[in-house]
Amino acid sequence: MTDPWQRLRAWLAGLVAGGLVAVGAMAAPVGDERAIPERLDQAAIDAGDVSVEKLIRVGRLWFEAKFTRAEGAGRPAATGAIIPTPAEPDVLPLFFRTAGPDSNACRGCHNDPEIGGAGDFVANAFVSEGFSDADFDTVDPQFSNERGTPALHGSGLVELLAREMTRDLRAQRRAAAAKARREGEAVRVELTSKGVSFGALTVHPDGFVDVSALDGVDQDLIIRPFSQKGVFTSLRQFTVNALNAHHGMQAVERFGARYTGTEDFDRDGVADEVGPGDLTALVMFQATLPPPRQVLPRGAGRRAAVAAGENLFEAIGCASCHVPRLPLDSGVFSEPNPFNPAGNLRPGEVDRAVQVDLAELAAASGVETDDAGRLMVPVYSDFKRHVIADGERPHFANELLSQRFVNRDVFLTARLWGVGSTAPYGHRGDVTTLHEAIRHHGGDAAESRRAFEDLAEEGQRKIIEFLLSLRIGLETPR
Amino acid sequence: MKAWAILLATCLALPAWGIEPPRYADDRAGSGLSHVYDGGWEFFVGGGVAAFDCDGDGRQDLHLAGGTNPSALYRNVSAAGGVLRFEALDDAAVALPDVTGAYPVDIDGDGILDLAVLRVGENVLLKGKGNCRFERANEAWGFDGGDAWTTAFAARWDEGRDWPTLAFGNYVDRGAPGSPFGTCHDNFVFPPKPEGGGFAEPAALNPGHCALSALFSDWDRSGERDLRLTNDRQYYRGGQEQLWRLSSEAAPRLYSRRDGWRRLNIWGMGIASHDVNEDGYPDYFLTSMGDNKLRVLTEGAKRPVFGDQAGKRGMTAHRPYTGGDILPSTGWHAEFRDVNNDSYMDLFIAKGNVEAMKDFASRDPNNLLLGHPDGRFENVGEAAGIATFARSRGATLADLNLDGLPDLVVVNRKVEAEVWRNLGAGTADQTVPMGNWLQLKLRQEGGNRNAVGAWIEVRIGARTLSREVTVGGGHAGGTADWIHFGVGTAERARVRVQWPDGEWSDWIRLYTNQFARITRGQSQAEPWLPPEGEDGS
Repeated sequence: MTDPWQRLRAWLAGLVAGGLVAVGAMAAPVGDERAIPERLDQAAIDAGDVSVEKLIRVGRLWFEAKFTRAEGAGRPAATGAIIPTPAEPDVLPLFFRTAGPDSNACRGCHNDPEIGGAGDFVANAFVSEGFSDADFDTVDPQFSNERGTPALHGSGLVELLAREMTRDLRAQRRAAAAKARREGEAVRVELTSKGVSFGALTVHPDGFVDVSALDGVDQDLIIRPFSQKGVFTSLRQFTVNALNAHHGMQAVERFGARYTGTEDFDRDGVADEVGPGDLTALVMFQATLPPPRQVLPRGAGRRAAVAAGENLFEAIGCASCHVPRLPLDSGVFSEPNPFNPAGNLRPGEVDRAVQVDLAELAAASGVETDDAGRLMVPVYSDFKRHVIADGERPHFANELLSQRFVNRDVFLTARLWGVGSTAPYGHRGDVTTLHEAIRHHGGDAAESRRAFEDLAEEGQRKIIEFLLSLRIGLETPR
Repeated sequence: MKAWAILLATCLALPAWGIEPPRYADDRAGSGLSHVYDGGWEFFVGGGVAAFDCDGDGRQDLHLAGGTNPSALYRNVSAAGGVLRFEALDDAAVALPDVTGAYPVDIDGDGILDLAVLRVGENVLLKGKGNCRFERANEAWGFDGGDAWTTAFAARWDEGRDWPTLAFGNYVDRGAPGSPFGTCHDNFVFPPKPEGGGFAEPAALNPGHCALSALFSDWDRSGERDLRLTNDRQYYRGGQEQLWRLSSEAAPRLYSRRDGWRRLNIWGMGIASHDVNEDGYPDYFLTSMGDNKLRVLTEGAKRPVFGDQAGKRGMTAHRPYTGGDILPSTGWHAEFRDVNNDSYMDLFIAKGNVEAMKDFASRDPNNLLLGHPDGRFENVGEAAGIATFARSRGATLADLNLDGLPDLVVVNRKVEAEVWRNLGAGTADQTVPMGNWLQLKLRQEGGNRNAVGAWIEVRIGARTLSREVTVGGGHAGGTADWIHFGVGTAERARVRVQWPDGEWSDWIRLYTNQFARITRGQSQAEPWLPPEGEDGS
């Protein structure tokens, strides 16, 4: 749209719409059913005119809002795919359980035990790639995978850990490449970050890289900590995808004119449904959800069981993947993520990043620091993908499609912080107890699972008691 | 009134909405590249630039034709993501006079790119020796460079041959009675010796119609690669555009009306090919004076019946868009490249008056046409910052600083070549990436190591982006090495290759925003790291 008059008209239309929204923020007109209370301009955020507190507050309102058609809910001419993909208009109804949109609000699923949390089995989502036509891809449920709702608490720290790990791995690769070029010989480098091994790669003197020995990380060495497959880099990317897939609310930075040539890609009559500022608010709300914490039970006996269970958890090898604590060098969360791909706001596209120091929030949740001042984040994960099923224990390979280059039996190590508050378990939310979930572990976890099964029942119960002490929110201890 | 003025000014200051052009910075002054294409009538045409990696460091170096000035070779020493910088190389084998253009191609299959140098006079094949050194190989390879006025080149590999077939397109036969009008020179095809190691006697493609660009391309996806020639109607009599079927078993045959070939008379200057309409078959953009053409198959692939879609798609680019001149444009080099990485192919067209043709624009800026999702193209030359009024000829769109954004080098008649750094959405001080991208190299065993004639398919979501690997086209210059794909918002892509013999590779999984090499027989690609590390991280 380079015609100045065309731009003027569009700008005026935006002005009018913005005015209506502003009016709505002050006092909704009589009979106005729109759910979004306030829109935020990324330029104002860039200019420092919007406080972090306001971002979090508005982000929560967005998270709670039951989106309406008036503000863009629904996507009659677009699929739920992560790449803008047109669909035959109006073939599917506004809501559709498998293909989506399947939810009114973020909170509709993320609500257990509190806003931002996990979800009951009834809140499962069907995740399909969404690239094919709707009839084939979605009406038949065998062409999508069913997933439980993950809790988002502590996800700001999670994203920060992933960023630091990505930086570590890439620095090791960069050093290997420089050495290979300098010395004229292939260099093999073992990739590790925060004590976690991600296999190895070999850099040849001409700069080509053999990635066949990588383990549990993508070939671009980006640690993607979100989704149960570990396929999303940032809260922002996860949110852009989810808004489209689950609500038909399309973010400008992915579905706007820059990549689609139109401000109304889903052809629902609403242009520019979710602006960059709105997304920044949503991200800041999620990033500052308090980290899960350990809540010890009241009775001394149970407390002793928790302590013993934690020791057993480590002793039988669970902690080799569910790493109890990962060190975080800096708790300063900046938005946007430097590893975001196009279609998600990137640092070069804003004048300055929004920053919030999560250290205080972490300390309030009992996150300790080590002697070097690093936050020791009790996340119980290695941020790595593993094969989690085998012929003996196939349950966790119960999906029918591989997702985004990740095979069916491979999942990101589940973060166990908060696991005591987030039943049901497993990526499909179809496991009712932790005991069952442990017994479904196969693949890379087979040895630890056997060790668990070899424990006496009392030992097994202690491990369960320990896991149940990892809580979200301020629930009354057992 | 004042309020309206403020409103209007605010509106115009807003960031542009819609498909966005990249911005280019003029890096010439500090680039170390200083070169002029010059000469009299014989150098009104030509002026090509070749981009290829001659020292194996992954950066594309530059060869520029000089006309009466010596041709020049520049080593690319640009830092990854940095300003564009070059070092002039002193190599007597390369610094030839009377050069109109050059194309990089690994003729002897040794893994080092060679150069086919087009001249007014004897053409020269330069064997690449590594580290940007070259040696004349006409005699060693049994190649007779002739004495024509050569302005076009293309190469292909035939089934079972380790050496390529070379096609040289010639312009006016200067020695013919009555020259220049109606005296177009024959064109020539040099088949490889059956035993390899060099070339057999050339075959003449007669009649010649003053070719200014040539391209072997598999227009019907039959596995045969026919030779398209775009010809200058200024000098031919009774001529037209041509498509030749070449076979090792039979004499060259010109497609005719009987085959469905439609006569087209243009001032054909350059060829760019890409599957614009995403029907699986290549389309051909032909530069000319006035309207440029987009030739598209109209009756499927059974017959070479081509119609035109340039007007429909906004690609005629027939008149200057700035500078005040309203006379028709003169187009030369054309090249498809996704300059903003939005996954929709864009097109650059070099423009400039032949010399002083009064019926055509004298202030004739180069075009940058942005592709839109609906198949239209929109000129953004001015917004991109590349609108100059030199008499441009050759050009290359290559990612010279390895940041994923195609940069631009333009060769001009009589004035300095232009060096443009793609800033994406940023400024000269800070490049800001646009869409995601992928750059690929192909490798296979045998003489045709770089898989010329292969097709690459990149699957992103529900779309398939395809490229044919060719040697030829443009105007007097070509690009080798990295094959660039803009992939928009895609973070991952599935890639497969149809190798030149027709065999398909497996689908190969690749993350975007990286360089990678695909080797035949391997199901995993090898990422490649730029010399100074990675972009932006």
